[in-house]
Amino acid sequence: MSEQLPSVLESVFREIPNLAFEEKGARRLRVKLRADTLPALLELLKGRAGYLHLSAISCVDWPTLNEFELVYHLWSYEIKTLISAHIYIPKVPGRYVSVYDIYTPAAFFERDIHEMFGVYFDGSPDMEPFILTEWEGPPPMLKSFSTVDYVEKTFKWQDYSPLVND
Amino acid sequence: MKNSTTISISSDPNTDIACRTIDKKERSLLRKVIDRIADRCRSRSLFILHYCTGCGAIELPPTITSRFDSERLGIQPMVTPRQADILLITGYLSVKTLKRVILSYEQMQGPKYVIGMGSCTINGGMYWNSYATIKRLQEYMPVDLYIAGCMPRPEAIQEGFLQLMDKIDKGQANAWETYYQNYDAYLGNQQALFGPNWHTPTDVIAEAQHYNFLTEKSIGQHTALLAKFASEYVTQPIPNKVLSQEEAVE
Repeated sequence: MSEQLPSVLESVFREIPNLAFEEKGARRLRVKLRADTLPALLELLKGRAGYLHLSAISCVDWPTLNEFELVYHLWSYEIKTLISAHIYIPKVPGRYVSVYDIYTPAAFFERDIHEMFGVYFDGSPDMEPFILTEWEGPPPMLKSFSTVDYVEKTFKWQDYSPLVND
Repeated sequence: MKNSTTISISSDPNTDIACRTIDKKERSLLRKVIDRIADRCRSRSLFILHYCTGCGAIELPPTITSRFDSERLGIQPMVTPRQADILLITGYLSVKTLKRVILSYEQMQGPKYVIGMGSCTINGGMYWNSYATIKRLQEYMPVDLYIAGCMPRPEAIQEGFLQLMDKIDKGQANAWETYYQNYDAYLGNQQALFGPNWHTPTDVIAEAQHYNFLTEKSIGQHTALLAKFASEYVTQPIPNKVLSQEEAVE
């Protein structure tokens, strides 16, 4: 299905500077924009295009870049199109602004990302550990954290080991 | 006032009426026969604690319900640890869950049996390189039986149950005793994961004394760390050595 972009989305996208979008398929839009313009985009999408549903925020730790990629997945029950908004934030200091005031479910996703990647969200209501309440190591989803090394250091194997020794 | 004359059997409770020291391992013929009957009855009526840790739990509904019907073997689920005999570790066990499993295990009444189900409890399984799951269950609690597989099918679980029943029947399923006998080592492994402040409300050392399983390995450097958590409920003074009879009376 190759349709024209709905006019309401077009009007929203025109308001955000340096925004690039790509149609990844029917009802799937990939949007790339500057990090500081993301809250404005979410606000406009929610207000004009009926994007009431923030289904997830995902974080990608690219080992070759000095930036985290944050992806905000949004769904509109009116336009019925999924928007994935991609932004990049520097790994140091790894802070970004919370979108909790626009979408309350964001609190949960941001807490999870803070736990797994160490990204701090300013304005998020709760940044306490959620699942890893008893974990004291580094954020475990970072590529710089080697789980194999940690396991070798912490646990012992049976008489045989799943690690192949060359 | 009438003088009550008591027959002094012995001041030492470890001697019998003839002042002969009782060997705890030695059992009379009658006791052996009673034990044999008790073991046989026990093996025919087992309750599994209804506590599932990983994906292996999905194999238990068919095992327990009509298709494979483990109640034929006298095995059925039980909701509380205090009334259960078998602790089934079904699949991967995260460090966080392990704490809860140990709490449940210590609340179970002896004799109790632990079955490690699935490859994850044996050597980490497919989560061998995960930071969150433990690799060898037997480091943290004594395991009677492992059932390999990812996941073991209900047939394999039934086979495991039959083997466990056979071991109980023969009086060989005594792994739970080693938890009391080697408590210091088990606690040391737990502390290595959970930190030096790890403690449970169960007074394991007092239980070991009650069951007569207290050995030199029951207490040591690891149990010494428990002293600061002794309370009016946990009465164990955590001595550094096994007290002799005279010291204990004092």
